[in-house]
Amino acid sequence: MTSTAERAASYLVLGLAAVLALYPMLLILVTALSPDQVGASGGLHVENFGTAWEQGNFGTYVKNSVLVSAAVVLLSAALASLAGYAFGTMQFRGSSVLFYLLLLGLMVPSEAVVIPLYYDLKSLNLTDSYFSLVFPQVAQSLAFGTFWMRAYFRSASREVVEAARVDGAGHGRIFWSILLPMGRPALMTMVLLVFMWTWNEFLLPLVMITDESLRTAPLGLSNFQGQYTSGTALLAAGAVLVALPVVVVFLFTQRHFIRGMVEGAVKG
Amino acid sequence: MQHSRGAPGQPRTVAYLYLAPALLVFGCFMAWPLLRAVWLSLFEWDGLSVGTWVGLGNYVDVLTDPQLRAPFVHSLVLVVFFSALPIVAGMVLAGLMSRARLRGSGFFRTVIFLPQVVAMVVVAIAWRDIYAPEGSINDALSAVGLDGLARAWLGEPSFALMAVGLVGTWVGTGLCMVLFLAGLAKVPRELYESATLDGAGPLRQFLAVGLPALRGELAVAMTLTLVAALRTFDLVYVMTDGGPGRSTRVPSYEVYRWSLEEGKVGYGVTIALLLTAAILLLTIGINRVAEGDRR
Amino acid sequence: MIPRLRRTGLLALAATALLVVTACAPGSGGDDAKKEPASDVETDVAGAGDVTLTVWDQEVRSGQDKPLEELNAAFMDTYPNVTIKRVSRSFTDLQKQLRLAITGDDAPDVVQANNARADMGAFVKAGLLRSLEPYAGAYGWEDRFPDTVRSVVSYSEDGQTFGEGNLYGLPLTGELVGVWYNKAKLADLGIEPPQTLADFEAALDQAKQAGEIPIQFGNLDQWPGIHEWGFAQNQFVPRDEIRNLGFGQEGSSWTTDENTAAAEAITGWADKGYFTKGFNGLGYDPSWQAFVKGDGVFLVSGTWLLADLSAGLKDDLGFMLPPVGETGDLAVTGSTGLPFSITEASENPDVAAAYLDFITSEDAMAKISAAGGLPVVDLEAQQPSGTQAEVFDAWSTASSEDALVPYLDWATPDATDVVPTEVQQLLGGDRSVDDFLGALEDDYSSFTGG
Repeated sequence: MTSTAERAASYLVLGLAAVLALYPMLLILVTALSPDQVGASGGLHVENFGTAWEQGNFGTYVKNSVLVSAAVVLLSAALASLAGYAFGTMQFRGSSVLFYLLLLGLMVPSEAVVIPLYYDLKSLNLTDSYFSLVFPQVAQSLAFGTFWMRAYFRSASREVVEAARVDGAGHGRIFWSILLPMGRPALMTMVLLVFMWTWNEFLLPLVMITDESLRTAPLGLSNFQGQYTSGTALLAAGAVLVALPVVVVFLFTQRHFIRGMVEGAVKG
Repeated sequence: MQHSRGAPGQPRTVAYLYLAPALLVFGCFMAWPLLRAVWLSLFEWDGLSVGTWVGLGNYVDVLTDPQLRAPFVHSLVLVVFFSALPIVAGMVLAGLMSRARLRGSGFFRTVIFLPQVVAMVVVAIAWRDIYAPEGSINDALSAVGLDGLARAWLGEPSFALMAVGLVGTWVGTGLCMVLFLAGLAKVPRELYESATLDGAGPLRQFLAVGLPALRGELAVAMTLTLVAALRTFDLVYVMTDGGPGRSTRVPSYEVYRWSLEEGKVGYGVTIALLLTAAILLLTIGINRVAEGDRR
Repeated sequence: MIPRLRRTGLLALAATALLVVTACAPGSGGDDAKKEPASDVETDVAGAGDVTLTVWDQEVRSGQDKPLEELNAAFMDTYPNVTIKRVSRSFTDLQKQLRLAITGDDAPDVVQANNARADMGAFVKAGLLRSLEPYAGAYGWEDRFPDTVRSVVSYSEDGQTFGEGNLYGLPLTGELVGVWYNKAKLADLGIEPPQTLADFEAALDQAKQAGEIPIQFGNLDQWPGIHEWGFAQNQFVPRDEIRNLGFGQEGSSWTTDENTAAAEAITGWADKGYFTKGFNGLGYDPSWQAFVKGDGVFLVSGTWLLADLSAGLKDDLGFMLPPVGETGDLAVTGSTGLPFSITEASENPDVAAAYLDFITSEDAMAKISAAGGLPVVDLEAQQPSGTQAEVFDAWSTASSEDALVPYLDWATPDATDVVPTEVQQLLGGDRSVDDFLGALEDDYSSFTGG
């Protein structure tokens, strides 16, 4: 069906694309393992990661990123499931208006809301807190999350719901004991995407957080870049530390990731 | 994908209870700030003292002052790199992968998609090194005897914006490829085979069979990449600070710079709102066209 | 009529919503009430109870970072009731984030704010920094710092006048933008450190012929270009003229023959390839690291690099004042390092003031000197050697000859944005000399109202 020459050409193109995709990441990794000071001896310098962790204060940053991501993921998953259940299985007045309103959130860039949010939260003395990082990001994730969970609840088997209803289960039980457990794959996909978005978010922490002890990993890394002036190895090591969690999670769960990206988007 | 199975479920008032928490958070942290943004855009305000009402003055300024308007022009250049190039590249790659039933296609898919999940700050740090005067690109050029083309990629106004854009191509290609792969997977094999019988070459086959099936995916890819292009912030913040000169100042960066560095909140918020409007119009426009064609 | 009723209802709702949003102009409500003026100055720190001072600085380079760490530790040793939380940032990041920080909920107590009108001036105007006048008497800062130092950290209370009025910050270090050179390379080329502009240009040419990078320069960060431009200007423009322009005072102009000559000279250097190839795309830090590795004969930059450069180049490092050019007078861009100020939001201004006193004491100056830096005062008390001695000599020459001229981005509220971007474009060949000077003139004259 396809000639050998064509296969070879395909491999060549794909191989080239793969090399281009990997090169910048490998470059960072290699730099991270190179000697930090000018003229130091060669070999692999694994200790750079430890040094960067210490000097760059990454322990604190990563802890903050973990806490914030966990909170955003949990809250978004919970609120989006509840809302998706209502949109997906119930009829009520204003349902489509409310749904389109939420969908609007999918298109409003965070740039548009971050400035007024900053001044409002500041007047309430709420900037420089986990609160100011968590709730705006929950709001941003809700649009996609609700949309995604609604699609799942709509597609869930009606027979199962009907049967449960005949057995006398209320809406609460149907949600909690039947549909939600069945929807674990859908939920999982959403959780992964929200985790990635939250972990990588830069603008919001940049604006909301000035307290060193509350900074998240990407923000800490960006400041480390200017702060650490006498070499590049430690900066690269820090970059690896910041990128690694999401990359590892992706490598282990890529099916979910890619499915979410593809289906979530196409259904829009 | 049309869900035309009729209205789901039964009428229930309890729905509002399920919706309440989500709507509350959404209302407080998305809808309300958006209204506030509109309000702030009507003032000249330094973020510190009391603001002065200027009505639509900020909008007039942003739309007429070349320096304030330039960032929007810059983002048009970025659109080419963030949107057009990844779509073309993604389509080529997806076409190759789905046609030839290659071994190891899972590997290629993972690797080419990977840039999409790496934090932009990390991406920016890596590419800043690559573009440095002594960086990989110039090394590669001089290795093949093209020293004349070597330059400070982030240091020349005519190249810096494209250099930033190319990073967008790098990030977006995997996403586009994955979208198109999913679209092509839905095309029945027989269609290709009958095209082969008709004597169509690989390219003709793709154009006749594959491409029409990708209309929906194309709309999605365009939407996602356009939004990414218009929202570029981290890359510029870390790689160029808007320089050299003002050549890489893009709307998102200007939102931050005007509002929080320069103390002209009105300009910053106005730019943010115009950006939002652009994104809304483009998203709706693209989907209209895609849906119209589908009918 | 039901639809119409509905519509009016909706309108009413929208109007109410708008009213709620529009309750007041931004920035009017809330805690505007000024804090009562500091009553009596309290210099007793030990009796202040448990205090945490948050300090934001940009002293990330080794010559400044080390002594500050030591001083912080020493302060906490002396006063165990005080904890210092230090947050250090690069100059660029501090510039970008300081405004957010000092207006934020958790504002730091002590911040390092650039003397410029765009920074310190704007903060003073907005009432964000505390006048240090009450403390100056109590701690004798008038005696510690000469007039020349105090003037560059003084603003009128409304932030309009720069150079007089209240004291708003204290510097730790002195700064000169001079010429670093690689002694070994100069010896190889057989040239003496050039004292005049003609000699300097000849040396550049000779270095270029020999295949060296004449001037190592990295300008990706944009701000370093101000220093190169100032360096060129020093050769051509009379000192008082530069001061007028730099302090944003009326009566001068950028579009003069002297400034044109300076701009033409520096673009000439760029055209002849005297700067590192691709300088606009090279970061400042990679650039001085390259100088340390032996790439470059000269490096036109500030004394803040002293410790870092000495650590790498050792005895091969030399420092000299800018050559004397057309004006016939020595002029050198320089001033104090970024001053440390106390924020209005600080809850412990008395402790913060004691901290400022502590880090500018004689002992502190000795520590800065010992770490290889240039302390702002008390130079006589130190025993520098090697390149550090050359820097100290340059500083005293510059002071005694009244040769110091200010940084050019201090001038106007927009200068920190305008000057670096314009210089970057001038050097990159994207701006003609006339357009360049015209842009600076626009900014200057719209500010001075001339």
